[in-house]
Amino acid sequence: MSIMEKPVFVDVKLQEVRESGRLEYRSRALPTWCPGCGYFAIVEGVTHACNEMGIAQDQAVVVSGIGCSSRFPFFVNLFGFHTLHGRVLPVATGIKTANDTLTVIGVGGDGDGFAIGGGHIAHAAKRNVDMTYLLFDNGIYGLTKGQTSPLSAVGLRTSTSPFDNPERPLNPLLMVLAYGASWVGQAYAGRPDQLREMITQAIAHRGFSYLHILSPCVTFDKTSKTYVNLGMQVRDLPVGHDTGNRLVAMQQAEDLDNPAIGVYYQQLLPTLADTFDQVAARASGEAGV
Amino acid sequence: MTAHTVSSSSSPHRYVIIGNGVAGNQAAEGLRDRDPEGQVTIITNSRLLFYNRYRLPQLFLGHQDWRELLAHSVAHYQQRRIRVRRDSRVVGVDAVRRQVLLAHHEPVAYDTLLVATGGRWHLPEELADGRHLLHGFGSYEQALAVRDALPDRGTVVMLGGDMIGLDLARVLLTADCRVILVTHETTFWPHLVSPEQRAGHLACVQRMGIEVVDGDAMGGVVAIEPGSAGLPARRVRFRSGGDLYGDVVMPFYGLTPLVEFMVGSGVDIERGLLVSPMLRTSDPRIFAAGDVCQIWSEQAHAYRFYYGYQNVRAMGAVAALNMTGGDEHFSTTQDETLGQDAQGHIDSPFWVYD
Amino acid sequence: MTDIQIALCGSAGDGTIAAGDILRNAVAALGYRVICFDLYPPEIRGFGKCISRLRITAEQSYALKRQSDLLLSLDDSHAIPLVGEVRDDGAVVYESQPVAHCPEGSHMSGHVAPGQIPYGIPLRELAEKSTGGARSRNLVALGFIAGLLGLAPAAFQRVIEKKFAKQGAGVVARNLAGFQAGFAAGTTTFKLDDVVCAPPGSQPDQGKVVMLSGNAAVVQGCLDAELETFFGYPITPATSIMERLATALPKRGRRLLQTEDEISAMAATIGAGFAGARAATATSGPGLALMAEMLGLATMAEVPCVVFVSQRGGPSTGMPTKTEQSDLNAALYGSPGDSRRIVIAPTNVEGCYRCAGKAFEMAERYQTPVIVLLDLYLSNRYETVTLADAGSPFVLNANKPLRRLETGEIYRRYALTDDGISPRAVPGDAGCMHVITGLEHNELGRPDDREEVHEAMSRKRHDKLLAALQHPDFTVTKRFGHAGRVRVGMLAWGSTFGECLEAMFKAQAEGIACAAMKVVMLSPFPEQAVASFMDDCEVVLVPEVNHEGQFAHLVQGVLARPVVRLSRVPGAPMPVELILGEIRRLARGVVTAVAS
Repeated sequence: MSIMEKPVFVDVKLQEVRESGRLEYRSRALPTWCPGCGYFAIVEGVTHACNEMGIAQDQAVVVSGIGCSSRFPFFVNLFGFHTLHGRVLPVATGIKTANDTLTVIGVGGDGDGFAIGGGHIAHAAKRNVDMTYLLFDNGIYGLTKGQTSPLSAVGLRTSTSPFDNPERPLNPLLMVLAYGASWVGQAYAGRPDQLREMITQAIAHRGFSYLHILSPCVTFDKTSKTYVNLGMQVRDLPVGHDTGNRLVAMQQAEDLDNPAIGVYYQQLLPTLADTFDQVAARASGEAGV
Repeated sequence: MTAHTVSSSSSPHRYVIIGNGVAGNQAAEGLRDRDPEGQVTIITNSRLLFYNRYRLPQLFLGHQDWRELLAHSVAHYQQRRIRVRRDSRVVGVDAVRRQVLLAHHEPVAYDTLLVATGGRWHLPEELADGRHLLHGFGSYEQALAVRDALPDRGTVVMLGGDMIGLDLARVLLTADCRVILVTHETTFWPHLVSPEQRAGHLACVQRMGIEVVDGDAMGGVVAIEPGSAGLPARRVRFRSGGDLYGDVVMPFYGLTPLVEFMVGSGVDIERGLLVSPMLRTSDPRIFAAGDVCQIWSEQAHAYRFYYGYQNVRAMGAVAALNMTGGDEHFSTTQDETLGQDAQGHIDSPFWVYD
Repeated sequence: MTDIQIALCGSAGDGTIAAGDILRNAVAALGYRVICFDLYPPEIRGFGKCISRLRITAEQSYALKRQSDLLLSLDDSHAIPLVGEVRDDGAVVYESQPVAHCPEGSHMSGHVAPGQIPYGIPLRELAEKSTGGARSRNLVALGFIAGLLGLAPAAFQRVIEKKFAKQGAGVVARNLAGFQAGFAAGTTTFKLDDVVCAPPGSQPDQGKVVMLSGNAAVVQGCLDAELETFFGYPITPATSIMERLATALPKRGRRLLQTEDEISAMAATIGAGFAGARAATATSGPGLALMAEMLGLATMAEVPCVVFVSQRGGPSTGMPTKTEQSDLNAALYGSPGDSRRIVIAPTNVEGCYRCAGKAFEMAERYQTPVIVLLDLYLSNRYETVTLADAGSPFVLNANKPLRRLETGEIYRRYALTDDGISPRAVPGDAGCMHVITGLEHNELGRPDDREEVHEAMSRKRHDKLLAALQHPDFTVTKRFGHAGRVRVGMLAWGSTFGECLEAMFKAQAEGIACAAMKVVMLSPFPEQAVASFMDDCEVVLVPEVNHEGQFAHLVQGVLARPVVRLSRVPGAPMPVELILGEIRRLARGVVTAVAS
């Protein structure tokens, strides 16, 4: 599995990538991220997934908030809406309400999703909006050059916590599981193949899918969520993990020291569109009486 | 014993007057003059402010808006701060708690009370069944109902024929109506008329154009019935078997004091409320004035009624004086003799008002 | 000429508002013009005061009157303080047989002024006799009023049947019986008041007359403009827009979502607008504040969306059940940056309908957020409105047509054009992939903060809106009253214009040369029309229901000319007499210098 097993030659790889059709999903804009940023892997993952699934470029919308990760829409050749800080989910909900047939992918960072926009996740999960939410967790505010985020580890020194972060981080997976999201998974940008597979599954899920992506900030975090640290900490979910059991999923999510990678939980539930249809059917039925 | 506390500004004295007629309104004005701080409240069953019922017959001389009947303008009440609780029926007086009880279950507290409810038209018991077929003449609404029920040149049958009725009869005649008077012992009430005088007065009445039917000779009226088809709306049957038709039948058997609500209050009642010449009842906080009260007369050594506009107004004034600590006796100069005018028509001092 | 005002007052649960509803619909069916305004208690349950006021006229009127001609009390504790509004020789109708003992002073009979006519009616007893219970007491009272005024009962019966049909034949029968008993009592009661309801005037030749509240008219406008999605969060006094749409939209297979807050409501509205749906939300001042950042995004990203804002007393939570016009500044300027948008404010219920539909046309045509400013008084008041017989009066697709792309051509979402409006593609349009953003951007929509780009794009976003001042079939401003030069001119916006018109008519009757202009479009500001009106006026009065004189500020700021302010915050409509007094004062030549 490891890329170290067999040598890879660049021209062969390029040829393979060009032929795959995946580049059609890349925009001409070059990403503004720092060299080595985990987010490059996410772009690769999304374009790969869209390509694999045969999603037409003009039938997909990427919605983002504000932050490093939220620049994402400019780097893919899909429809995109770079909205306001924290408002990925309500804007995406509006888009899905207007047009069910679109594939909607929300992207945002940990500050965008769990600080300013924290109130929206519960409602998008509860409504089971048929979309995918990719949460890029680097545990820091990168675009504004390194401030503490609600997912920053205890003791992380940043420009806004110069005496080290005294607060405990949130447990995002536990929260999203408790909100009743119908698909919950975690991936690590340092394992691109697995990441790509997880993104594909998340998009394929009918309903609200939440994928938490651990990703180092190579510029502002040299001590906490580094490739070295995360590489040592992450583990796979146990073999035979029951994705239909939310309590088991929550038990796994409890472990923040050794985050587990994989699909925690999935369940098929009526989506927001289903509930709209149901209401319309009842309304027209009543009108006929 | 004394109820003659005049108001202090901290606790205004509460004067309550039951009745919105001549006596009540005269008293209200007097009370306001004598006690500028007092709270003066008139309670009345009527929806209207005080209007002069002596002018009601004029409704038959072309339409008049009821507002023209009003004795006082709205400003009169506002300026004098006299509250008039209209459309409110009194069902009792609790002399112990000093409360007037209204039909809608509201008490009105008083420090001094004046009862000036006057009288309502009297009806002999045997006619009670036909009550709904009779037209009273006590209020503006009733007067208009008579007018509406009366066709052009219609016929009015007057039973009894007290002086209120005869006053109306005079006007009806000028309006080209036919008036039939069915005599009764109450004819000419409240004048006391001897049998000899009576014949002469009846002759006068006939001279005026009123048809007179001797009620006693017919055995008295026994029933009022709806008229048959093609005939006027009402039929009056006599004991003798005879009958009379009219568009409107009106009882004018004199007035009965309106005192039912005072039963249970503890004050002395004979037919009316019994009062001293100072118009005080047996309860020192309750006074009475007008047609509702019988005043002790030293001369007659009896309690007696005093009728007429002048008397009633004088009583209102005396009551106001005495309710505010005065010590005035009611006295009268009212002429009570039924006379005749130049044309030989009857003329009563009770018809005079200003 | 009939012009009477009836006030109904009771506590929540007495059926006061229901009685008012039946009355207004019945008299509208009889052919009268009606304006009504209900006041509800801020409390949810219990014994709060409810007042329903109706002005019934032969010809269109523009505001309620200061004095009522008839007051019905279904609860004396609430109605006693209102008895002073009944004019002399007007009627006061109340319960003459209350069930419980009344403490002294608690019964209406003790409070009717000497000039008013008391009608103590055994409402409860009549209800019990006719229906076996006291619940139809409000219908008995209504019947009494109809009987007293000599209104035809058939119209009432039809309205009662329709209103209670859902609750079953028993309830219909009970209420009809109650009404009938009251009607009989009303016709046999000796009428002493002089409140007269003459037969109504002639009916309009075309269109149908319906009775609508301001919020209901907004909803009708939304439906006739074929609104597709609505997102909202409950807030007084805008909630009834969402409530009505919650029934109406699903019946048409369309979608309404109650969001978790106003930020989400606005965000989803913009999301839906971006995705190509006709989208709207409705809120009040506090919600508008939460939407401010999102509205700026819609301006920047040029996304069509419509926001209905029904103002209430402020600032902050303020007075949720009282009316005010103090969110003008927030509507005009309440977003960071140069974020101009279209702001329109109807002046009456019919205007609510037209502005609602036209707002969608404008949002689509100019690719901008449009705020429709209402207020509690306008939202909750009912008026008879004449609607077109058939068909929508609105342009249902006002989008600028999209050109087919050449092969290899990249779609330019923000292409600079002569009129500032760029052809708009939406997700799903073949080959038109693009990203829209709140960042300053170039024609492609890519982030770009160079000086020349920001200058050009700022100009584009502002100048494209100026065309709205000539928007087809839309009244931007309108002048009423005397033509030519006048002594006093009034400039007014929103619901207060009705009171201004009434005051103007009275002033004209007194021989004062005066005119009034309603300004419906507040942004972009119709500078020319207002300036030429002001040219005709020796003095200009600006009445508005806010403390700061926000509209006066706007006029003075744009035109740099003096105006006389009449700014009051009574929590209620501006009294006509107050405006009239000011007109008289100004007509006499007393002009207070205005600091500017």
